[in-house]
Amino acid sequence: MSKGMSFFSRDRAALLLPIILVLCLTSRSNILPVADAIWLTIPSSGTKCVSEEIQNNVVVLAEYYVIDENNPDHIPTISARVTSPFGNNLHHNENATNGQFAFTTGESGNYLACFWKDGSHQQEAELTLGLDWKIGIAAKDWESVAKKEKIEGVELVLRRLQGTVEAIHGNLNYLKDREAEMREVSERTNARVAWFSIMSLGVCITVSVVQLWYLKRYFLKKKLI
Amino acid sequence: MEKRWGKMWTLMGLLLLNWVSNASSLSVTVNDVECVYEYVLYEGDTVSGNYVVVDHDIFWSSDHPGIDFTVTSPGGNIVHNLKGTSGDKFEFKAPRNGMYKFCFHNPYSTPETVSFYIHVGHIPTEHDLAKDEHLDPINVKIAELREALESVTAEQKYLKARDARHRHTNESTRKRVIGYTVGEYILLALVSALQVIYIRRLFSKSVAYNRV
Repeated sequence: MSKGMSFFSRDRAALLLPIILVLCLTSRSNILPVADAIWLTIPSSGTKCVSEEIQNNVVVLAEYYVIDENNPDHIPTISARVTSPFGNNLHHNENATNGQFAFTTGESGNYLACFWKDGSHQQEAELTLGLDWKIGIAAKDWESVAKKEKIEGVELVLRRLQGTVEAIHGNLNYLKDREAEMREVSERTNARVAWFSIMSLGVCITVSVVQLWYLKRYFLKKKLI
Repeated sequence: MEKRWGKMWTLMGLLLLNWVSNASSLSVTVNDVECVYEYVLYEGDTVSGNYVVVDHDIFWSSDHPGIDFTVTSPGGNIVHNLKGTSGDKFEFKAPRNGMYKFCFHNPYSTPETVSFYIHVGHIPTEHDLAKDEHLDPINVKIAELREALESVTAEQKYLKARDARHRHTNESTRKRVIGYTVGEYILLALVSALQVIYIRRLFSKSVAYNRV
């Protein structure tokens, strides 16, 4: 009895799993909207930019696609550009309905991704763009880790949780360093305010003394006093 | 043996499905209204997140009333509403599945940069456990653990955004202190020089005998 049931469940699992995986991975179709992407609206004229402040040596993985349910045959195209905080062009794409880019950050700062409509579609209404932006631990390829270390199921899930915990620890250290930097700037500004205010009083007194001395000398010269 | 294999594969498959409920933290510049859409897969999912106005480039801080934040459900009703804040956390249970709209409204003309993070978390319920006998109660515990870690990550992102805002304010204060103080000194010296020149002119020969 149990053997018969287990055979049935194995067939069902064998059927179910590929379907689930296919649905998960076909992010460009509208069968299963990908829940880990946000949608943005691109205005008819002008660009829509999103940015994130990312630290050094972090993996960034992103994918974008135009969503248009009205006319699936003639999907409007967009152009995209991703710039680093120093102004380098990391990704540039024109006349595309979808695209993806991946890079490791070389410097810490504000990374900007801008999207705009192509010239031929300027008059139409706003279009919707799906953006799937992952950095750091979220961008890690767990399938390759599972294959390399031959782990699966609950062990893989727990390994992912361990990765998340390590990322939390790293983030906490980063926040601590940032707070230390900011505290230094605050204390320096505090010292400067005190110093500059006292100096302002000194400058005021000096300037008035110089004034009086000069005027006295001038009037003595002119024989008025 | 086969039962365990089948169970493990279904578990992994379903957990992979559960793992797609995530989002990233991004900043967007709000001129008037900026809306972001996020899909909620299951009814009853907890949608949580936070947003912080990072680039507060106003001269006097008492002027700006803050950013309004609205969450609209796919049915059109407003699920969550926050007015005039410079950043806050939010959490609500999604009344139905579908596409939710998260809007930021800037009542003033000066553009503000808002850094936001939205997360949709799903924990398998008793109903899901009953529907599929291969779904272990351990899934529920793992999902709860994952959601707890997600909430820690979300809190960290909020702290990072608040720290960024604080850093902007600090930088602005530092620049103002140096700029205004040096300007003050130069202005003082200039004004006293002008005073002296004016007094000299009052006593100059061409004007003096007529006036002073």
